[in-house]
Amino acid sequence: MLSTETIDEVLIIRVEERRLDASKAPAFKDDVGQIIDEKANRLVLDLTLVEFIDSSGLGVIVSVLKRLGPSGNLAIAGANSTVRRLFSLTRMDRIFKLYDSPQAAVEAMQT
Amino acid sequence: MRPSLCLKIDSDLESVGLVAKAVRALCSNGLGPEALDEVELGVAEAINNVIKHGYAGRKGSSVEIRAVLSIDRVVIDILDQAPAMPQTALEARDPWSRIESGQTEDLPESGMGMALIQMTMDEVSYSSDAGINQLRLTKLLAH
Repeated sequence: MLSTETIDEVLIIRVEERRLDASKAPAFKDDVGQIIDEKANRLVLDLTLVEFIDSSGLGVIVSVLKRLGPSGNLAIAGANSTVRRLFSLTRMDRIFKLYDSPQAAVEAMQT
Repeated sequence: MRPSLCLKIDSDLESVGLVAKAVRALCSNGLGPEALDEVELGVAEAINNVIKHGYAGRKGSSVEIRAVLSIDRVVIDILDQAPAMPQTALEARDPWSRIESGQTEDLPESGMGMALIQMTMDEVSYSSDAGINQLRLTKLLAH
């Protein structure tokens, strides 16, 4: 479901699911929670492979942000137009920074 | 004859994506990309609600989806035999009301489903008769 990679001390979590929905959200939350507890506080969630997210999937992404705490930095990368639509409908595009690619997100975090 | 589909699935969250995509495909001749995204999202949220709340997340019951695309609208009926929900459940409060506070802790992680259904559809109605509940979602086609 997830794979990880570190670039310039930023942890990239790649979601390897086409749909991040209510059927996947509980396992996604567990998996991503374990990764965060072990590692860095600068994080990019790479959604390049994800075609669709529902409110349950979005809820997990919000929970990741909360779990990182005030010192954490979470960026979203590779969201397609369908996923971006969910972020704008729910006004989460004001909360999260969205980048076209993980590389672009990592570069932005260096400045 | 108007394009339509009728699907019956088990009350399994794993099956919801299939139906949402099928309804999206039905609408692809009448709606633009943003409206198709909204239909897929609204339908997925509505069926998730039935399974998670109506059937308490249990598999083994059925959910039936009927969708009809006509010249000016798509009408999607979602039928189940779970305990009926009160009409007040349709009145989604704004889950993002405290978003302006800037406090991460105030951001919602759940309870967004009905609000998203209302935002993505033009009309939402609910009725319950003889043990069968019907949620009707209507999306108007832009002209």
